[in-house]
Amino acid sequence: METIWLYQFRLIVIGDSTVGKSCLIRRFTEGRFAQVSDPTVGVDFFSRLVEIEPGKRIKLQIWDTAGQERFRSITRAYYRNSVGGLLLFDITNRRSFQNVHNWLEEAQSHVQPHSIVFLLVGHKCDLEAQRQVTQQEAEKLAGAYGMRYVETSARDAINVEKAFVDLTRDIFELVRSGDIKIQDGWEGVKSGFVPNTVHSSEEVTKGGRQCFC
Amino acid sequence: MSSVRSSLQKQQSLPVRPIIPLVARISDQNASGAPPMTVREKSRLDKFKQLLASPNTDLEELRKHSWSGIPREVRPITWRLLSGYLPANKERRELVLKRKREEYFGFIEQYYHSRTDEHYKDTYRQIHIDIPRTNPLIPLFQQPAVQEVFERILFIWAIRHPASGYVQGINDLVTPFFVLVGKLHQRTPFHVAALPLETQRNIEADSFWCMSKLLDGIQDNYTFAQPGIQNKVKALEELVSRIDEDVHNHFKKYEVEYLQFAFRWMNNLLMRELPLRCTIRLWDTYQAEAEGFSHFHLYVCAAFLIEWRKEILSMVDFQGLLMLLQNLPTIHWGNEEVGLLLAEAYRLKYMFADAPSHYKR
Repeated sequence: METIWLYQFRLIVIGDSTVGKSCLIRRFTEGRFAQVSDPTVGVDFFSRLVEIEPGKRIKLQIWDTAGQERFRSITRAYYRNSVGGLLLFDITNRRSFQNVHNWLEEAQSHVQPHSIVFLLVGHKCDLEAQRQVTQQEAEKLAGAYGMRYVETSARDAINVEKAFVDLTRDIFELVRSGDIKIQDGWEGVKSGFVPNTVHSSEEVTKGGRQCFC
Repeated sequence: MSSVRSSLQKQQSLPVRPIIPLVARISDQNASGAPPMTVREKSRLDKFKQLLASPNTDLEELRKHSWSGIPREVRPITWRLLSGYLPANKERRELVLKRKREEYFGFIEQYYHSRTDEHYKDTYRQIHIDIPRTNPLIPLFQQPAVQEVFERILFIWAIRHPASGYVQGINDLVTPFFVLVGKLHQRTPFHVAALPLETQRNIEADSFWCMSKLLDGIQDNYTFAQPGIQNKVKALEELVSRIDEDVHNHFKKYEVEYLQFAFRWMNNLLMRELPLRCTIRLWDTYQAEAEGFSHFHLYVCAAFLIEWRKEILSMVDFQGLLMLLQNLPTIHWGNEEVGLLLAEAYRLKYMFADAPSHYKR
């Protein structure tokens, strides 16, 4: 299979500790739910291709960040080179919802002169009985900041695909309209590469021979 | 060296995060049912026993012998001596143990109730949610009694060290002491709650003090902005640029930053990259070195990175490199691999420690 992509987008996933950032990303990139996962330390990297329209592929590079305060000095370095972000809270944890505002401030103060297209994600929506944040109030908050809102569950694979693909589509439209421009020295968006040239590690590890011709 | 290296080169497997193996595998080749000790192993053990039985254990001598690995049977006491928790004077040991254990439980009595106070409840909350996620694949650490012990140890340490407080990663650092001091690797399968209460308390207090001694040397890893880690990652980059230009330039070419993969190596002392049995072997040497955890670890990280040079150089994009570096296939590593890693680290330290600038290209 060819891994030709139109654009590469870098995304960042943020939110309080234990809202399920790593589990959501793993569900999206590996297609499985990890019952247990140790706390993310610093930043982890993930990647996946998505098809936003038939034949139109976008490569996503995703930074999974540690939620704990002490790691901010490390994680904040990753905002600048991100074009998009998923801001997670846990619908069963009101406090993580209250912190959404702080996360946006944190992001905005470290992303200048660029900006990040954020999607607000209410995670763990399979735990309806323990819900502490209503869909309406989350939508209202998202609207106030000009974000979309989606509820997801990594455990039951609800809306995980949709969250990433919707965000990718939104960014794609902004790139297509010229509102987001590719710039030298900025990793947020990169243009796809010329067909017939192998650059990608997927090609190499899947038995393709590296060709420097 | 090159022949050693090539024999060590691991087959690249699918990128799977190294999973900490089951406790039952910690003791590896030393477990009961394993081949009997060789003559050399026997004589090493005798040497340790002799040192430990002396009225005043010669700590220099003990370090010298520990560097290349401590026999399993004497590891618990040797670790407690090397960490500075137990005194060299044999007669004083019981008294010191008694006093320190009482002191620890004094802290518990004095402070542990404050976990619900406004000032401390965030610290406690973070510890409380991290503990079930510590060593999640090892059943031992899912026992409620064990999780309670970890909560107490970490909370007490955190509030007694306000400059750093509790930082994720510190939870991992209790594990080797807890397993070792409690000789828990020899007691599987079992429930900690089934041990006599006094034994449980001793394991807890001793783990606390050993961990405290370790953290005393690396506290700046966990203070605001984590300067200890920032400095060590910079030092790692500097070192690798001198010892392996190919790897260094490869990272530059594909815009891989050392902080992107080595942050965790420093924050968790490679515990996330290696099976627990390897960490235990590694710590034999770290405790035998004068500044093992704070300084020698840097050389171990450099040696560890270069260990994968072939795999690194075969990756020709950012993504491939990051995925490789986050998921180095060490799952089958044992004492032999760690021994070679340490030997290489020692060589690097000898050649490059405080090296004058003429080593620079």
